[in-house]
Amino acid sequence: MGIFLKDISLKGKTALITGATKGLGRGAAIAIAEAGGNIIAIGRNQLELNSLKKEIKKLRVKYLSFNCDVNNYNRMKLFISSLKKLDILVNNAGTNIPESFLNVKKSSMETLLNVNTKAVFNVAQLCANQIIKLRRKNGSIINISSIFGVVAGQKRTVYSMTKFGVEGLTKGMALDLAKYNIRVNSVCPNIVLTPRTKKYFADKKYNKYIKENTPIKKVVSVSDVATSITFLASEASSMITGSSIIIDGGWTAK
Amino acid sequence: MLKKINLKNKTALVTGAGKGLGKACAVALAEAGAKVIILSRTKSDLTKVNKIIKKTKGSSQSFVCDVTNLNDLKKVLKKISRLDILVNNAGNNRPQHFTKVSQANMEYLTNLNMKAAFNVAQLCSQKMVKAKNRKKIGGSIIHMSSQLGKVGCEGRNVYNMNKFGIEGLARGMACELAPYNIRVNTVCPTFVETPMVKKFFKNKKFKNKMLKNIPLGRVAKESDVATAVAFLAADSSEMITGTSLLVDGGWTAK
Repeated sequence: MGIFLKDISLKGKTALITGATKGLGRGAAIAIAEAGGNIIAIGRNQLELNSLKKEIKKLRVKYLSFNCDVNNYNRMKLFISSLKKLDILVNNAGTNIPESFLNVKKSSMETLLNVNTKAVFNVAQLCANQIIKLRRKNGSIINISSIFGVVAGQKRTVYSMTKFGVEGLTKGMALDLAKYNIRVNSVCPNIVLTPRTKKYFADKKYNKYIKENTPIKKVVSVSDVATSITFLASEASSMITGSSIIIDGGWTAK
Repeated sequence: MLKKINLKNKTALVTGAGKGLGKACAVALAEAGAKVIILSRTKSDLTKVNKIIKKTKGSSQSFVCDVTNLNDLKKVLKKISRLDILVNNAGNNRPQHFTKVSQANMEYLTNLNMKAAFNVAQLCSQKMVKAKNRKKIGGSIIHMSSQLGKVGCEGRNVYNMNKFGIEGLARGMACELAPYNIRVNTVCPTFVETPMVKKFFKNKKFKNKMLKNIPLGRVAKESDVATAVAFLAADSSEMITGTSLLVDGGWTAK
């Protein structure tokens, strides 16, 4: 800590990350551990939870994992309400099924609403209640949103509906949780190259669409997003709440 | 994974650096390793800030300069060989009810908060574009905006007009400077413990009313804002451009 520059440090803090095995969730877990935070990883793939354990343990912080689908409310509730320490939630688990509006299948709409909206709400509520119950000095919740929580994109109607929803939830939660000194923010990345989006990038037309719409001619990296998440998790951002960090190389500035 | 706020080998210019937020930003950037060029109208203030920076083992150079004087500004810029970061901070406020705003105050605020801000940004951008290795070493411009660049507030109509304008300028600049690998963002603080705000808060009724509007129930510290500025200045935010970092304790989430 300098005179005016605060450290991005999470020493002694415990962070729960959903969708922690791959992509942004995994990046966030590693970045938080690098800042000194202990990790509670939620994911559905045991092999990947094990390999994440190895990576996190190298950083000399505590690691706990729970193999669970975030849609399973009862199991999530049992686990979260049993936690002895919790300061930070990275509410990351989410998915996308790009379809043109006229052809959106009922099943894809249901899946996206369940994962991106209902499970996001449920995990946030369970964690907020636990942080308050544990009487932590401060807390920070980061919802993983998207530029499609701010603007629309082709074949992204349902995704936009869910992510605009997350933006609304973030602001509402921020107001309700401020008196407990729990801050709530979101990060809104442009399309990041992750295992899930790899198939989109394989399409040349899609690549061109991304490039043409991103004034800074680079693809957002997992590390770009993980760094912003860690900044929001730490007390370096102790007056930032109810807000979004947009990591989009200028996409939404146009 | 985690990108540190590191400004080694970068040169930053901060306007209005004698007091308040400008001073805090100058010191924070120096603490992150930048060489800092500080501008203010008051020589004695610059001397004090130079001393603080020296104490943190940082390096600084100062110029007495009124940013509303274009010729003086040009002279200062001529003496600078390289520039990587600009904190476009100099600004002021003279609250008055809309029907009572005097021409003199409207002119004064608009000349300082908009015209001078534009001129400083343009002159510095011209220098930043020419910097050697700019494609490799990114540039970053941070405009000091306000939560009142996002929402209205009583007695703040001219300031609202100025700061909403700065939000627009930042987005336009972001689009145009992206090809040069220069990012442009704003920081939007709520009321901060600065000499300017202390003056407003002598009115206890006003102070209490404003505090009620900040969900976190406290004003921001200078270090909260300076840390956000340092985060945007560094490569830790290398894909963030054309956006705003709200340091407002939830004010605009309502």
